[in-house]
Amino acid sequence: MRRSIVNDPDQLVPEALEGFVLSHPGRLALDAEHRFVRRAEPARDKVGLVSGGGSGHEPLHAGFVGPGMLDVAVAGAVFASPTALQVLEATKAADSGRGVVQIVKNYTGDVLNFRIAGEISGDDEVETEIVLVDDDLATDTADGGGPGRRGTAATVIVEKICGAAAEEGQDLAAVADLGRRVAASARTMSLALAAGTHPGDEEPQFSLGDDEVELGVGIHGERAARRVPFTTADGLTDLLLDPLLEELDLSRGDELLAIVNGLGGTYPLELNLVARRLHRRLADAGMSVGRSLVGSYVTSLDMHGVSLTLMPLDAELTRLWDAPVATPALSW
Amino acid sequence: MTRSPSTDTTLPDDLGPAFVTALQGALEDAAPALGDLDRRAGDGDFGDNVRTAMKNLARELESAEPEDYRGWVTAMSRAWLGVGGTSGPLFGMFYRDLAKAAGDGEAPDLGALAEALEAGQAVIQKYGEAEVGDRTMVDALAPAVVALREAAQAGKAPAEALAAAEQAAIEAARGTAELTARRGRASYVGETAKGVMDPGACAMGLVVGALRVAVEADGGEVAADWIE
Repeated sequence: MRRSIVNDPDQLVPEALEGFVLSHPGRLALDAEHRFVRRAEPARDKVGLVSGGGSGHEPLHAGFVGPGMLDVAVAGAVFASPTALQVLEATKAADSGRGVVQIVKNYTGDVLNFRIAGEISGDDEVETEIVLVDDDLATDTADGGGPGRRGTAATVIVEKICGAAAEEGQDLAAVADLGRRVAASARTMSLALAAGTHPGDEEPQFSLGDDEVELGVGIHGERAARRVPFTTADGLTDLLLDPLLEELDLSRGDELLAIVNGLGGTYPLELNLVARRLHRRLADAGMSVGRSLVGSYVTSLDMHGVSLTLMPLDAELTRLWDAPVATPALSW
Repeated sequence: MTRSPSTDTTLPDDLGPAFVTALQGALEDAAPALGDLDRRAGDGDFGDNVRTAMKNLARELESAEPEDYRGWVTAMSRAWLGVGGTSGPLFGMFYRDLAKAAGDGEAPDLGALAEALEAGQAVIQKYGEAEVGDRTMVDALAPAVVALREAAQAGKAPAEALAAAEQAAIEAARGTAELTARRGRASYVGETAKGVMDPGACAMGLVVGALRVAVEADGGEVAADWIE
C-alpha cells in the first residue's frame, strides 16, 4: 500500500493551493472561495490568460502563473473539472479590458465548464476565446468521432507561447490564433511503468506486471489501449518517438521543440536518458532539438512514466518561446 | 403568441422569492430520493449535487438578498453553476435563461415565462447535446414547455396553465423509467436503468411544480411524492 502526506483528503486541494501561494510571497495571490491562483500584481492593458482543470497535474497550472505566462489558474478537485462558476470568476479576474484567452485541455467536463463560463462572462462584457489543447496522439481516432484527442503536456507550450504574445501586446484574436497553431502542430505520446495513486487511496489506479509497459496513457490514470513488453530506456524512448515521427510531417533540417516530461513519479536521471536518446535519434535523421524542457511539468499524481511532446519550430514560435518568463515552474 | 385579451397573464410580484424558496424546500426534501434514483441508474452523485447546490444557494441569498425576480433566479443559477459534474452547469444555464424572463425590478408575465422556459430547454440541449427521449432532464422540460405554451394560447389563467405544465412534466419524468439512456451518466449503465426514473427529469418536474406553487394564491407545497 501507498501512504500519502495528507490531512483530510477533501481539503487536499485548498490546503495545497494555500501552501503554494504562501511559498511565493509577493508573486501570487489566492482566491480561496473560487480556488484560483492569480498574479499578486495583476497585469494591465493586455490580453488575459486563464487556464485550469483538475488537480493532480502539478506544477500545471498554478505553477505557470506569472509574467510571460498565465494571469490566473483555476483548480478543480483531483482529476475533476473546476465548476463553471469558478471558471467564470477566474476569467473575470484575468481580464484587464482586452479580453481573455481560456486555455483548456480537451476533456468533456473541462470543455463544458469553460464554454459555459465563456458565454456567461459576456454578461460582464468580458470577451473570451477558447484554445483547446488536444495533443495526445494515442487518442487520435481516424473516424473523428467521440471526444477526440486528450490534452496533455503541449498545454505548457500553448501557455508559454500565448503568454509571450499577450505580454508583447498582441490582441485577443492573434493570441488565440497562436495558441491554436501550437495545439494543431504539437503531439505527445506517453507511457507508464506504474500507475499513480489517489491521495488517501491505498491502491494505484491500475497495476502492471514487472515485464509490462502501458503505452498511450493519459494524465488521469486511465488505462491505455496497448500493453507492451518492458525494455531499456532507449527502447522505451523509441516507443514514444516512432509514432510521433510518423505523425508529424518532418524533413531533414527541421528544428523541434521537445518536452521530455515526467508523469509525477519519474526520477530526473531517467528523464535525461530519454532526452539523450531523443537528441541522438533526431541528429541521425538530420533534425535537431532546437529548444527543450526536461522535467516534470504535467503530471498524473505519482505515476511512474514519461511523455514526449514534439512541435516543429519556426522563427516566430522560437522568438515567443525565448521571451522572458517568471513563474514558479518556468523562468528565464 | 396569441392570447385572449380578457385573460390576465400577469404573474405575482413576488414570483422570484416565492419560486426560489418553494423550489429550495422541495429540492432539499427530495435530495435523498433523487440520490437514490441516481445510485440505481447513474453514477450516484446527483443527491450530493443537489445538496451542494442548495448550500451554495443559501450562501448566495445570505451574502445579498436579491431585489427582484431576476436577482432571485440568478442566485439559483449561480448556485448550480458552482456544482460539478454535468448536471450542475446545465441547470445553471437553464436558470440563467429563466432569469432573463423579466427586466430589472419586474416580474415576468406568462408569455415571457413560457419563452424563457423554452430558451432554457434550448440551452440545455445545446450544451448537453441531448434530445427528447435520451433519459435526461430535457424529457420532463420539453412537454412542460409545450403544455405551457398551449395553455397560454388557449387563454387559460396562469395558475391553470402552470398546473397543466406541471402535470406534463411529472408524467414525462415518470416515463423516463422506461427509457434507455444515450446521454448523461446513466448511459454507462444502459439497460440496468430500466424501471428507474431519471433523477434530472424528476428535479425538472419539481422546478415546474415550484413555478405552479409560486403562481397559485394558495399553492401549498410542491408535490414530490411521485418520485420513487
